[in-house]
Order: sequence, then C-alpha cells, then structure tokens
Amino acid sequence: MQVPAPLDAMVQAIRRDADVISARQMGRALAEDLGFSRPDQALVATAISELARNIVVYADHGEIELTTLQQGDRQGIRIIARDHGPGIADLERALCDGFSTGNSLGLGLPGTRRIMDEFDIRSPPGEGVTIIAVKWQLR
Amino acid sequence: MTVTVPILRQGSALIASIQEDLCDSDILNLQSRILEDVIRYRANAVIVDVSAIGILDSFGTKTLIEIAHSVKLRGAKMIIVGIQPDVAISMVLLGLTLKDIPTALDLDHGLALIGET
Amino acid sequence: MREVISSSLSDSEGKPEFDQDLVDAMRWFDLSDHDRALTSELGDIADDVGERIIEAFYTHLLADETASRHFRDDAHIAQVKKGQMRYFRELINADLDSSYIADRRRIGSIHERTGVTPTLYIGAYAFYLNKLANVVLDRMEDDPAKAFSMVLSLFKIAHFDMALALETYADTREEAIKARERELSELPTPVLQLRPGLLLIPVVGTLDSYRARALTIQLLEGIQEHRARAVVLDITGVAAVDSAVANHLIQTMAAARLMGAQPVLTGLSAEVAQSLVKVGVTAEALSTAGDLQRGIELAEHLLGE
Repeated sequence: MQVPAPLDAMVQAIRRDADVISARQMGRALAEDLGFSRPDQALVATAISELARNIVVYADHGEIELTTLQQGDRQGIRIIARDHGPGIADLERALCDGFSTGNSLGLGLPGTRRIMDEFDIRSPPGEGVTIIAVKWQLR
Repeated sequence: MTVTVPILRQGSALIASIQEDLCDSDILNLQSRILEDVIRYRANAVIVDVSAIGILDSFGTKTLIEIAHSVKLRGAKMIIVGIQPDVAISMVLLGLTLKDIPTALDLDHGLALIGET
Repeated sequence: MREVISSSLSDSEGKPEFDQDLVDAMRWFDLSDHDRALTSELGDIADDVGERIIEAFYTHLLADETASRHFRDDAHIAQVKKGQMRYFRELINADLDSSYIADRRRIGSIHERTGVTPTLYIGAYAFYLNKLANVVLDRMEDDPAKAFSMVLSLFKIAHFDMALALETYADTREEAIKARERELSELPTPVLQLRPGLLLIPVVGTLDSYRARALTIQLLEGIQEHRARAVVLDITGVAAVDSAVANHLIQTMAAARLMGAQPVLTGLSAEVAQSLVKVGVTAEALSTAGDLQRGIELAEHLLGE
C-alpha cells in the first residue's frame, strides 16, 4: 500500500539505535504540543520506540513519519513506520503475544496494537513492512 | 553518542542511576558493566534507578529483567526504583511486567528495602 | 422513525418557520391539512361537551387511588382541569407547527417530572377520545360517514400527540440518567493516607472507562505524593464492574506494583470476582481481601508491620 506523505509530516530516518531515541523524542514532543495527557505522551513515545526498533532489528533501515490528524474537535497522531526489509511472512503470528523471530519479548507489535487506537500492518511480498498506527486525544 | 550510566557503590550495594533515555546499545553496555561490578565488588544488591526515564519499552524491560536474573544468579538481588506513573501505565498497557523483581518508589525506599539506610 | 420524530422536536424549538423533520413526522402519521380541517369542525361539539367529559373523567380518576394521589387539594384539581380543557381544545384546532410541538414537549416533561405515568396519560387520552367520539357519532347521525372520518382524523392527531409525549418521557428520563451518571463519574475519588506509607482509595459509584483512567492516574500520583508502599483499593461502593473495568482495575494495580507500592483490592462482590476470573485474573496474581478491615490488615502485613 502506498501512503501519500502529507506536507506537514515529520520524518525521522531510522538506521541506527540512536535514531530510535530521536524518533520517540520527536513523538513525545508532538504529543505534548497537541496537549495529550502525560500517560498518552508516554504511550505515543513507546509505540514509536517499538516500531522504530523493529525497523533497526529486522529491516536495517526505514523511516518513521508522524502526522497530526484532525477529526471534529479532537486531534490525533498518526505514526507510519516504513521499511524495505524482508517483510513479515506471517502477520497473524507476528501480532500474537510472545511471538518473536528476533531476540525480544515478542510484545512489541501486539503491545503497540493494544496501546494505539488504530493499527494497520501491511507486508506485501518484496515490499517491506508498512505499519500505520493512530492515537487520538482523549476528550 | 554513547551514554555511560554511572554505577556508584554504597556499602555492599551498587546503584546505577540512569540519567537520560538510553538507546539499546547503551542498555546492553549497562548490563555487562553491572554484572562485572557485581563480581568485582562482591555486591549483594543492585539498585537500578530509572526515575529520569520517560519510557520503558519492551527491549528496555526485557534487558532489565535479564540483568536482574543474572544478578540473582550471582547471589545478589536487584531492585528497580523510580518508575514514573506514566511509564508504569505504558508498561502495563503494553503488557510488560517485571515479574518477581522487587520495585520501590525511589532510591530511599530501595535502600530501605535492602537494609542500607 | 424515532430519530425523525425526536430530531424534528429538538430542531423545532429553534426555528419555527419551516421544518423538514416536522414535515416528515406528519407524513409518517399520514397527517394532512385535510385532517386538520375536519377536526376543526369538531370545535363546537368539543366546546359544548368538553367540560362534561372532563368532569366525568375526574370522577373516574379520583376513584382510582394511585391517580388521585397526584392532587393536593380541590384548587389543584381545578387548575389541572383547566389545563386539560386547553390541552384537548388544542388537539381539535391548534396549528400543528413547531410551537405546538414545543408546548406538547414541555407538558410531557412536566408529566414525567411530576410522576404522571404514560399509563395514566394515555388512559386519560383514551377516556376523552372515547367519550368525544361517541358524542360526535350521536350528534351527526345524519352523516355517519363524515362523522367517522372526523373521528379518524382526530385519532391521528391524538396519536401524533401521544408519540410526542412518549418521546419526551423517554428523552427526559434518559437525560436524568445521564445527568446522574455524569454526577457520579465526576465525583472525585479521594486518596486517603491511613498512616505513613499506606493509602486507602474508596471507589464509589459508576466506573466508566473515563473515570477508571482518571482513577489510575490519581492512584499512581497519590503513591508518589504520599510516598506510599501499600495501597488498598476498596470497590465495595462500585455499582457494577464489567470485564473492561475489571481489566482496568487489574492494570492499575499492576502499575502501582511497578511503582513499588503493594496493591490490595478489597470489597469484591461475587459478580466482580467472576468478572475478574473472566479476564484471567487469579488470586495469586493479586492481593485481595474480603472486606476493608482485612484488606488494611493485609496491607499492613505486606508493609512488614
């Protein structure tokens, strides 16, 4: 799936460990600017951290893109994590708690899906992985 | 940019105070240094202070659990102190727990827990 | 259909000129100007016998113990009778426009508040219609077909009227319930320090997800503020705990534990205990105590006191 990059998007290239920190700090700052509660700021940052790390571990490089969404009188943050790595063969299993092909707890993807309001993952063969996750502000 | 977490000694305890967000390699580095110091100083307790950390994701949590288990295998115990309210909420929602690792509100409580006050 | 009627009602109050929803509602009841014209002709008969019907109705009403309880004294009865005359008179020839609807709704909500039940209301209506229809058919013996269609038109308007009243009943009641829920959910949950290091949080009322979230933050910040090492969360006063709320309570306690405070849950009813089991909670994973007293004792024990 091709996702058009909106003009106001912030993009952080993910190549190394340190980029994971930059991306999640960018996310926390955005959540704070939008007036997200402190727990929700932490959730946004945590989701970005999980998604960015997956890129480093499984795909070598990719990017995290953050966009502000507006729906009625509430705002949201959309996180798009994109890579061109080997992709995920079995999406369903990847979303199960405790499943991991790497060296992890296997809670990254299922956990991220739990803490976000919307979550979509695509991995067409040969095109890497695109994950779109949205967190809405609580009213 | 590499962050080296200072590890202090207080009595027979080691105190690692994480001052800022760590990347994965910094955490792995901390892991090996704590284990080395536990052996070198024959420490019987380790306190990891995470009060300055804004998030603890699955990797950070997994590594802390590993450190605690290795410390335990060395005959010492480890306590994690200073998990902030929003960090705690994120961890729980993410499905992360610290299993049987003792926790305390802050360094003072942690020291009290190991009898080092 | 409900949407059409209720939205026509709420919209109508603001803009009396033209109202598409009102037009739709009238179409649903098959109400036309023709009906209105027919019933207007009933005006004379209604004026003539209206008072008598109402008198008969009150004899009927005051014989009923439940119904008669609504009246304080004779003056009150006289006043209500007058209102009722007007109410039925408008049924015959008032314009079925927005202000009519607003007025019917106003009366409906007064009925709801003063405890006039739908049974009482519709019963009164049926009594009046039945009596009036009989008089109409009697007096128009020479043109029974016309008399019959007049009565049918009147019945249509009466049903339209009753629908308005019932919608109002439902809306008023719904609002009252919502207001009560809002009140309860806005009740701040106190964080009490029983002694240094030991907090008690008595949760009272309804726990919706919004309030449960607020509770979590209050509890965790309370732990920090009071430097607590044990927290007793007492849910004796919680009306209902569904699996979502049960899950939330468990998460809150897990978060408290991460912050270094021993959580104890007390006041679980049999139902709540079942909800907890349903979300996969076992007694080992959670410190619980049957009642508050034992919960506090358990917390003190966990504190090593």
